[in-house]
Amino acid sequence: MKNFLFFFFISLTFFAQTKTITVCPSCTIKTIKKGVLSANDGDTVLVKKGVYKEHLIQLSKSIAIVGENYPIIDALGNKESIFAIKADNFSISGFKFINVGMSFTKEIAGIFVTNSKNFVLENNIFQDDFYAFIIQSSKYGVIKDNKITGHAVNETSSGNGVHVWKSSHIRIEGNTISGMRDGIYLEFVQKSHIFNNTSKNNVRYGLHFMFSHHNEYYQNEFKKNGAGVAVMFSKHIKMHNNTFHFNWGTASYGLLLKEINDADIFDNIFEQNTIGINIDGCNRIHYKNNHFIRNGWALKFTGGCYSNVFEFNNFMHNAFDLSYNSRLNNNKFEANYWSEYTGYDLNKDGIGDVPFRPVKLFSYVVNQTPETLVLLRSLFVDIINFSEKVSPVFTPDNLKDNTPLMNPVNPIE
Amino acid sequence: MKYIYLISIFTLIFSCKVGPQPINYGKDHCHLCDMTVVDKTHAAEYVTKKGRSYPFDAVECLIWKLAKDNNENQMAYILVADYANPGNLIDAQKATYLISENIKSPMGANLSAFSSKEQALKVKKEQGGKLYNWTAIKAQLSK
Repeated sequence: MKNFLFFFFISLTFFAQTKTITVCPSCTIKTIKKGVLSANDGDTVLVKKGVYKEHLIQLSKSIAIVGENYPIIDALGNKESIFAIKADNFSISGFKFINVGMSFTKEIAGIFVTNSKNFVLENNIFQDDFYAFIIQSSKYGVIKDNKITGHAVNETSSGNGVHVWKSSHIRIEGNTISGMRDGIYLEFVQKSHIFNNTSKNNVRYGLHFMFSHHNEYYQNEFKKNGAGVAVMFSKHIKMHNNTFHFNWGTASYGLLLKEINDADIFDNIFEQNTIGINIDGCNRIHYKNNHFIRNGWALKFTGGCYSNVFEFNNFMHNAFDLSYNSRLNNNKFEANYWSEYTGYDLNKDGIGDVPFRPVKLFSYVVNQTPETLVLLRSLFVDIINFSEKVSPVFTPDNLKDNTPLMNPVNPIE
Repeated sequence: MKYIYLISIFTLIFSCKVGPQPINYGKDHCHLCDMTVVDKTHAAEYVTKKGRSYPFDAVECLIWKLAKDNNENQMAYILVADYANPGNLIDAQKATYLISENIKSPMGANLSAFSSKEQALKVKKEQGGKLYNWTAIKAQLSK
């Protein structure tokens, strides 16, 4: 009986063996479309190097489509996606997608996935496509190690790199995205992880979250994006070990937070942004161990914010550490390092003996009349800042760090 | 000398006219949600009687903002983008609105505006959804 079972299973694996369909310009199957048509669930479609002028390849089977040496799929500017997918258990890897056409009213992508689950899209290259990925109403997808480049000149005629809508459990990992409208765009996305991505030189946001709860993003780099990163109308977001840098411009932020509740922002680096974090209507956010280095404004509060805690952050050499336009409410600033701090530590416990007031009077003046910024670093401004420091009249009396640190926390080289 | 006076008076009169400013796509920020305005098919704008223009990235943002501030009567112009004619701003009070699952708008209300009812009906036929006029859409969004 044992032998029989053994033989039975061995034969089962033998009969269940799947086939590989090869597509190449000189093969019997010359187009990917035909290759996909002739495949059954479990098969592999292997596409050899070459240029395939195709679009609207419909996929509804559980197959693997593998490109060898990056075969090029050229959509020739057609207003249809290259792959239109509604399937479970599939993968697409090793292709180069070029010239997906743009439209004002229609979403067109290199890979367009709807109502699917369990898929892997990895190691693809996208060049000059309207959208690279659009993922809709899908679950359990991995988008990994893709390189997406666009030549977006203006924001209206360009699409997003990775565009995810109404999905959950998506992993976006190790992608490099540049020159698109938004690098990564998530709307109504739950329980997803975004990590190890580089998103730079995009015309609008490097990463854009809307109405997306319970997501985590970490170890990403966001650099030189038109408006930085925007996280909006979301709850329970974890952001850690990200780098936001060189987002300069009147409308640019390292990170724009709008109506975010219950988030953790740990161990991030904000370097040389016009505004490090712009905080608008955010509650119960815990900021810890972040580095704010050489920003115009490290933090700018622009709306009612409650119960936020800032601790063990380094504020180094920012033009303004903090800009505030309301009462302190119950936000807390405790045990941060402020490079502007000029107090002393007589008992040598590492904590300054006099509180630090991070809001300068001049930042109020600039809030009211932005043009006054030309006076920054003038003697006059130093005098009004000093007099305000001695006897606070305009700045909230209780907005202070009572235990400023004498040395930076985990300084970075 | 007379002419100089006349010219300067004319310039003064004409430069003070209250009119809509063109939206600077990709640069202007939404007056409500602060997002950069990029979508030529869904943008909106209002102009106060004092002559200040405020852009919005989505029609729903404009409607939410008007409802929040309750200041529709202080507006000289309320304009929304014509979905069928990208980049063209039309009178919001005369437009026909479509909420369709298949046409996404920047702030998640799936709302688009049309200058003509025929166009709206045509798109509704293709994409599905429901049509509204200005009063109805305000009521719908304040639910």
